[in-house]
Amino acid sequence: MDDDAVFRALADPTRRFLLDRLFERDGRTLTELESELEMTRFGAMKHLRVLEDAGLVVTRRSGRKKLHYLNPVPIRLVHDRWIDKYTEPRVSALAELKALLEESA
Amino acid sequence: MTTMTAQATQVYQVFIKATPEQIWEAITNPEFTGKYFYGARITVTSDHYHSLSPDGDVWGDDRVLEYDPPRRLVHGWRSLYNPELAAEEPSRVTWEIEEQDGGYSLLTVTHDQLEGAPKTAESVSGQGWMMVLSGLKTLLETGKPLAG
Repeated sequence: MDDDAVFRALADPTRRFLLDRLFERDGRTLTELESELEMTRFGAMKHLRVLEDAGLVVTRRSGRKKLHYLNPVPIRLVHDRWIDKYTEPRVSALAELKALLEESA
Repeated sequence: MTTMTAQATQVYQVFIKATPEQIWEAITNPEFTGKYFYGARITVTSDHYHSLSPDGDVWGDDRVLEYDPPRRLVHGWRSLYNPELAAEEPSRVTWEIEEQDGGYSLLTVTHDQLEGAPKTAESVSGQGWMMVLSGLKTLLETGKPLAG
């Protein structure tokens, strides 16, 4: 999976809003999601398409309905790759300092 | 950590640079599952799904409903690792593996029929399945378990 697609998808407030709506309640139809947005059906579809391409939304058919599910895994992977990397050394430096201080105390 | 009401159907999807056969092996062989599935040693046969904790406690003991290596596995789910969750109604887990271009496979895990198991739904959502899938991806792509 492409990190660029995830960052691009997250870089838009409407798309983050859609992810938050799915976080609250998953498995929604386009009609339900569209009713929460002040835009055309076409606009909502376009945003959902970007989220789907980034792997952040997965669709499933249930009878005649197409349901949209939030897939949080790409966000986790971006977190592991880009956030852990920068926060971990500081945390471990503090842990080392604590150990050092406690040893000498 | 989260205030959401956990969903009765949860879908998790991840691209992994591995063949469907490698992924199938990693989800059905206890030597592999022990490295990314909270230490659980999971054995899957055509009719039975069995999961043991690192200490040998039974964490999962369910029927396999569909067994189609290396594409599709469906099994029951009861959270026997926690008595409160174990008392809830059984739910269902579906693993789907689809081969993609460039040596990748797309793994989709759907945990559904959770209507009668709200506490289990809460427990497996968020970090639950996500840690399993990111650990599985890391293991298959780097040969190492996920740190931490």
